[in-house]
Parts: sequence; structure tokens; C-alpha cells
Amino acid sequence: MTGLATALAAEHAAIFAYGAIGVRLTGAEQQEARAAEEAHRARRDALVVALATDGDSPPPTEPGYALPFPVTDRASALRLAVHIEERTAAAWRAALRETTGDQRAQALDGLIDCAVRATRWRRFAGLTPVTVPFPGRPD
Amino acid sequence: MSDHPPLPPRGRRIVFTSPVRSRKLTSTWSRRKIDRRHLLRGAVVTAMAVPAAALTGCGLLTREPDTPPSPDPLAPLIAGALDLAARYEAVIAAHPELTSRLEPLLRAHREHAAELARWSGTATPTASPVTPSPAASTPGDVRTLLAELREAERAGQQAAVEACRAAPAHQAALLGSIAAARATHVEVLA
Repeated sequence: MTGLATALAAEHAAIFAYGAIGVRLTGAEQQEARAAEEAHRARRDALVVALATDGDSPPPTEPGYALPFPVTDRASALRLAVHIEERTAAAWRAALRETTGDQRAQALDGLIDCAVRATRWRRFAGLTPVTVPFPGRPD
Repeated sequence: MSDHPPLPPRGRRIVFTSPVRSRKLTSTWSRRKIDRRHLLRGAVVTAMAVPAAALTGCGLLTREPDTPPSPDPLAPLIAGALDLAARYEAVIAAHPELTSRLEPLLRAHREHAAELARWSGTATPTASPVTPSPAASTPGDVRTLLAELREAERAGQQAAVEACRAAPAHQAALLGSIAAARATHVEVLA
């Protein structure tokens, strides 16, 4: 898979995960989850177009994605949201190397958005520090 | 996917062909009739004096000696990261109560500067001398200071975004992470 196809697979998984996250949250956190899901859908749609323009066949949505841990309450929902944004940020970061021009700009926007959302979720979850020095970089 | 810096760019490698062409040596050549073997031996000695690391690149002997070394495209970003670090240092010095909030951001900028320096092959930078900013002279107004930091982060993010878009593939991920980190700083300072 090319970098952008990997990013698309990560976006599919993020959209799926936010379904499980949103129902465990309320108020401002639930609103944030809805906005995040919408943002991931918009990225996914733009990616499908970009990959189709390139003549690649984009990876399809899977019927379900295994979550890294069960989401049973607010705390686990927030933890999953952080995890999802970090993982998607890593996929976009990896795509930077393999892209140029508009596609690189697209990948960079994706990385920045995921990094900012990961920071917001860490704040909601009470995790510190809320930022990391190199968002998307594998440990 | 390795995150290791590549060899230094060609313009930064040490070239030791130029003394062979210098006027002084040419006149010495004709005056003292140094034979070719003597001159070659001198070149070999010079070569051995160059640290081994400098010899690992190719094209070492073929570069045009008159080409000025190209400016390091990462240099402005290193300076920018150090400038951001210095701003945080000044604010923390004036308002120690902000330390726990700002310290992680300060550390990030230092790490960015060190990582950029590693990639550009320059020495690990130390913090630039802190110019007393207007920020430090108004210790009372925390809100203004944070707004100034936020503005500086925003400008820094834009600079890193532009650098990332124009960067060669092997530098794109690092510059992208730096742009993203600055965006998260803007978020935290909001």
C-alpha cells in the first residue's frame, strides 16, 4: 500500500472507532467526538478522490475493525480517542515522505489536525503532558 | 522507515583539491621542480589528515572548487526553534508559576532544534542569547504574554508548513511533525 492508501485505511478505522467513542461521552466531549468523526469522514472522502485520480484502487471500508481495548465507559472512550488520533497522525506522517505538491499538503493537514485533536482528547482525559514533541513519530 | 539523518549535503563536504591548483604551489612547482610523485605524496598526507567521516561521500574529488556551499535550508528553522525556546525561557523566568504549563513546550522546541541540527549536520545548537523581549519587561500581564507566545507559535507553524511542503522526501516527516507540534502549542495556549 502506498502512503496515502495507508492513511485511508487509518481514516476508515478512525470513523469506525468514533462510533464506539461517541456513545460513551456526553456534553462538550460528545460534541468534540461528533466533530472529529465528521473531520475524519471529510479526510476519507478527499483521499478516495485523490487515490482514484491517481488510478489506484483505494482500500475499501472493512465491515468492522478490532478496537485495541473494549470501550465501556467515559475513561476508556477518551483513551481510545487519544489512541485513534495518534495512530492516524502516524499514518499521515508516513505519507509525507511518499508525496509531493498537493498530496503532501493534504497529508500535512491530516497530520496537523490529528495532532491537535489528540491534544484536546488528552486534555479531556486529564493526561499530562497534553502535547508530544514529535506528533506522529513512532516511539 | 528510518529516521536517521543522511550524509551531509555535497556543499558541506571538505574539499582538498584546491591547494593543488593554487598559484603559490604552481610557482613553487616551476621554481623548485617538484616532481609529480612528491606532489602526490603531499596530497595523500593531506587526505589522511581529513577525518574518515568526511570521506564517506562520493563526488569528493569531482566537485567544482569554485562553487559556493549552498545555504542550509534547515538553518532558518533551527534559528526559529531556538527563538521560540528563548521566548518561553523569558516568560517562565518572569512567571515561574507558569513553569508546569510551559515547560513541555519549551522542551519540545529544544528537541526540535537539536533534531534539525542533527539532520543538517551542524553542531548541536545551544540556546541563543535571550534578547530581553517586551514580554519580559511586563511581568504583570500573563494574558498578553501567552497571546504573544501563541502568535509566535502560529508564525512558527506556518514556517514549518512551508518548509515541509518544499522539503525533500527524507526531511518531510520531521518537518511535518514540527509543524504539527507547533499547532498543538497554539491549541494549548488558547
